[in-house]
Amino acid sequence: MAKLLDKQRYKCALGAMQTVQAITRAIPILHSGPGCAQKLSDSTGSSGYFSPNIFPCTSINEKDVVFGGVKKLETTIENALKVIDADLYVVLTGCIPEIVGDDTGEVVSRFADAEKPVIYASTAGFKGNNYIGHEQVIGAIIDQYLEKSEKKEKGLVNLWADVPYQDLFWLGNIRELEKLLAEIGLTPNTIFGYNRGIEQINKIPKAEFNLLVSPWVSLSNMKKMEKKLGIPYLHYPTLPIGAFETSRFLREVGEFAGVEEKKVESVINEHENYYYYLIERYADLFLENRVINKQFSVVADAQYALGITKFLANDLGLVPAKQFIVDDTPKQYRETVAEEFKKLNYGLEAEAVFETDSYKIHEQIKEHDYHGYPLILGSYYEKELTESLKGNYLNISWPVQDKVVLDDFYAGYTGGIRLIEDIYTVAVQRFN
Amino acid sequence: MSYKIAVASSDGIQIDETFGSAKRFLIYEVTDGICQKLEERAFDEEETDCSGTSQASGFQKNGENGTGGVCHAKSGCGAESGCGNGTGGGCGGAGEASAKVELVSDCRCVVCKKIGFHIQKQLERKAISVFDVTCSVEEALEKISHYFIRMDNHESLRAQK
Repeated sequence: MAKLLDKQRYKCALGAMQTVQAITRAIPILHSGPGCAQKLSDSTGSSGYFSPNIFPCTSINEKDVVFGGVKKLETTIENALKVIDADLYVVLTGCIPEIVGDDTGEVVSRFADAEKPVIYASTAGFKGNNYIGHEQVIGAIIDQYLEKSEKKEKGLVNLWADVPYQDLFWLGNIRELEKLLAEIGLTPNTIFGYNRGIEQINKIPKAEFNLLVSPWVSLSNMKKMEKKLGIPYLHYPTLPIGAFETSRFLREVGEFAGVEEKKVESVINEHENYYYYLIERYADLFLENRVINKQFSVVADAQYALGITKFLANDLGLVPAKQFIVDDTPKQYRETVAEEFKKLNYGLEAEAVFETDSYKIHEQIKEHDYHGYPLILGSYYEKELTESLKGNYLNISWPVQDKVVLDDFYAGYTGGIRLIEDIYTVAVQRFN
Repeated sequence: MSYKIAVASSDGIQIDETFGSAKRFLIYEVTDGICQKLEERAFDEEETDCSGTSQASGFQKNGENGTGGVCHAKSGCGAESGCGNGTGGGCGGAGEASAKVELVSDCRCVVCKKIGFHIQKQLERKAISVFDVTCSVEEALEKISHYFIRMDNHESLRAQK
């Protein structure tokens, strides 16, 4: 029977056009209906040299459904190559051409000799959401563009973390993680954001290893690169937020990369000293004001639900209620992701609930006894709910309506401090 | 259920006429997915001169088996066609085009080599699909009837591999 999904928190796989957009001077060519990009380009921060308004699109209609859209796709790619000055062209397919059977791969293969690389990713909506679409785009780059390199660059690490645009803090987070890696003496390589583009993509095969900071997104890409490019990977499932997790992160990465322990410890020491200096100074706020809630729930994708749960439990000593994972995590990863929620300090365990239906999430939040005001970190959908429960609310996951983030971040030591600032700003506003 | 398809072809083999230049349309009737030629409808430009104040236009139906005959219809830019009424919409004054739209108004779709934007809108307003393609009449009819039969029976258009 048909199922109705209330207020979902992701887009269709074609939403991966934003993954392409995050690579500087890469442009998606959409083989889809004329409304798709319009619907998918809702987030802020997507104007610029290329914006969704100018993405070349085949705008297929009824005629192409009946007669096939292959010819239109060919001319669209051909003309995009002529009029748009980009470094990488990524053809993305929507639902319609995939249902009626357009052979996109064959059309794209006709451009193998083009001056600029043209690749394609199958991002039909029925194949999954934009988290899967993100994997498809990275997968396309690995499969169709990258070649194995015999030469390796000492200390070079490919860093993969958040899904651009879907994650509000993607840019700030990845830069902060880069900075931390650089501090322990590694050379991070990322492909998203300012000053990162085809040149960084070309460097991928030369890396000594891949570092994935995510519970499950892109894990399949790491395996693919291990197989095709012979690059081993380190999978660190938790986005490190705050001192406890970030120090653990640096130790684990350092050990994997063979960095001298003394070096890692000195970096950690320096950061922790400053971190705890701040915590100490504001301990009065944390302890005396009693404005903060005893229990919390995070409603976000696996990345944030896990990262923030660990931070609030380990660093701030809050007690986790149910945590809601809303990214439709593929079944094969669910068990291992849920296990991570049980690895908290002080013998704490959190229950992770995989749920995409907001109605069901909200019902469970309403039913739970938070022993006082609940603290809800979630999407804009949780704002009204939290207000009705007289709780404290912070918008940290998509969709985001009441917050503007340019390059702010929650990752690392500094990110943890930023998150504390945001949470306590909400808390003190309650009484002032 | 049956429906009609209007085809702009000079020789009945290749779709080689644009909507604007077509002097006649081949009308095919599709019943339960089986396609049969029904008649040819000629478009008489002289009779449908809409210039000046005249709003009258006409067309002829030439039934192949003699059932057709000549008929005149008041159509064109008047209220009947639904696109006049001074509301503009880019088709208010296009008398000839409107008459041509009337000529195929009982068809489910029009197949021609090319078609102008405004005239396509006029057709779409009457829920007539437009397929501007360059292929043989046979191929077009086969694909279109295949498409409509799927649509009418709420079947998936998924390609059979």
